[in-house]
Amino acid sequence: MGNWLDQKESASPLKKVRYIIAVAAGKGGVGKSTLSVNLALSLKKKGYSVGLLDADIYGPSLAKMLPAETEIRNCPRDPSLLMPFESKGIKAMSISYLRPASDPMSVRAPIVNNLILQFLFQVEWGELDYLIIDMPPGTGDIQLTIMQKVDISGALIVTTPQSVALADVRKAVQMFNQMNVPILGVVENMSHFVEPISKIVYYPLGKGGGEKLSTEFGMPFLGEIPLDGQISAASDLGHSLFESSFFSPAVQSYEKISGHLLDHLYALERSEKEALKDFELIWELNRHAIK
Amino acid sequence: MLSNKNFVKNIYQKNNYIFTIEWIDGKISDYRLSDLQRLCSCARCVDEITGERLVNPSQVPDDLTAVRVYSMGRYALKIDFSSGCSRGVYPYEWLRQWSS
Repeated sequence: MGNWLDQKESASPLKKVRYIIAVAAGKGGVGKSTLSVNLALSLKKKGYSVGLLDADIYGPSLAKMLPAETEIRNCPRDPSLLMPFESKGIKAMSISYLRPASDPMSVRAPIVNNLILQFLFQVEWGELDYLIIDMPPGTGDIQLTIMQKVDISGALIVTTPQSVALADVRKAVQMFNQMNVPILGVVENMSHFVEPISKIVYYPLGKGGGEKLSTEFGMPFLGEIPLDGQISAASDLGHSLFESSFFSPAVQSYEKISGHLLDHLYALERSEKEALKDFELIWELNRHAIK
Repeated sequence: MLSNKNFVKNIYQKNNYIFTIEWIDGKISDYRLSDLQRLCSCARCVDEITGERLVNPSQVPDDLTAVRVYSMGRYALKIDFSSGCSRGVYPYEWLRQWSS
């Protein structure tokens, strides 16, 4: 495996990826993976090429939501690289494709870091418009590794409305700020529930938490996703929500959010177009090279 | 939130011992390699609990040179010095504050 952590991955397969988006929350269970999958499907539907990396090694869920349609195989061009799995037109990589669902990954952090680096740099992602990284919960070692090794275009913060979730999400926001990763916006998941017959809207987890968070930190609010049985049913069955329930409010909310996300991403790119993101200045004695 | 002045627009070597960063807002800062190594914040140079500096700054020669200076993620740079500790991470925010 060599000296992974000190390498500069300049010739990495990620060079052909245009934008890398991290989907994160400080807390588990807010729906990061569900949002990541549906965001990927929504971007795919808009005609983009999309990859999805499940960085949650301890609690991976991608194989269930996005069942692999391909077998594990090496890259024909470079056998040291692994091909990503494919599902519904999305290139995907997750530890859940490689291990039985019932086997726990009880391993130490350095092993996990190496796995993540392999997922990033030893997978032939090819040309992608967007690579979505479904971040693990928390603000720990794996998150730091990813942000030190990858030039993340921006992060999407997921929260649920209640204040216990918001407290943890604030920590994730601070982490991205410290690492200079711009936050593209906040999504409030499980925002409300529409009673199907009366159409009365309920807010079982409280109201307006996501919007409050975005105001507090000056981040764009990208939208709300309702509590909707169709979302969890599609995830559990490994179906695409975008094929089965085209006009559902859930699909419409994902479409709206992915549209807003791209607007903010492009605006950000314009504002940073002069920044040198990835540089290496080779020191030359008595030559004063400008690179 | 969407715009940030802590971005490098250009970086170049000024002489054998100093490099220059041109920040995205136009500010220009010079950094002497020996100064940066003396301020290395890695766990071997600074005691994590007391914050006490464990390496004597006078041990770092003024004419310290480097092998390379490179970006780390979006927030920091690292330096492979020609000698001494190269483990330090130098966040852009810190570099900007320190130069002003």
